[in-house]
Amino acid sequence: MKKLTQHVNDLFKDIPASERKEVVMQEVLQNLEEKVWDLMEHGKEEEDAINKAIVEFGDIDELKNELGVSPEASERQPSMLKNRKLNLEYSIWGSVLIIGLFTFINFYYTPEIIWFVYPTFAVLWWPLSMYYRWLKVKRGE
Amino acid sequence: MIRSDIIRGHLDSIILRLILEKDRYGYDISKEIAHRTNQRFEIKEATLYAVFQRLEKKELIESYFGSESKGGKRKYYRITTLGKAYFKETVAEWEELKDVINIFMEGLD
Repeated sequence: MKKLTQHVNDLFKDIPASERKEVVMQEVLQNLEEKVWDLMEHGKEEEDAINKAIVEFGDIDELKNELGVSPEASERQPSMLKNRKLNLEYSIWGSVLIIGLFTFINFYYTPEIIWFVYPTFAVLWWPLSMYYRWLKVKRGE
Repeated sequence: MIRSDIIRGHLDSIILRLILEKDRYGYDISKEIAHRTNQRFEIKEATLYAVFQRLEKKELIESYFGSESKGGKRKYYRITTLGKAYFKETVAEWEELKDVINIFMEGLD
């Protein structure tokens, strides 16, 4: 039975400690032991029974998800947020430079006509869309 | 042997049905499923506990610790009123689904 306890511990080792985890582990172990006893009552050797119980347990990933560990989601989230933030900063600096250039050309060469607002509006779509992309990740959607 | 991906969406109902009949614990349920289906469908334990977690979170079932058995305390599940209502709904849904799928699966030789 020690092998069974060891196996259950191994199965759950990636899951961060919590009260819920303990309860589920207890339950899993209890039911596995019961299965082993049942198999032994039906004439299996202890070793065989334990192996059968372990093999038939299946893939733990689904249970991990239910216990609130989705490896991709928890790891990807911060780096993605950082990435989006960088995109946003880049778009702000970029648009400031472009708008600055337009303003300079406007006032230097054709000061009598104010036209730099048109390209300014066009360029502003860039940081605006980046801002919402960043917000989307920040709010965890 | 039934493929697990095809039955997946109905696992909740299968387990609710078994708990509806009487309060049960994990191994009891997996044994009962295998027994009733003549071993044509056997639920993996890992899947079973995931379903328990999900159903409990949705408050369709609740758990309590039973008497001491050989290993330790068995964790039993009982269905809630919400669970019963939900199950009734899925039964009606299933009837509908069966009819719809049958339209396309039957009558071809």
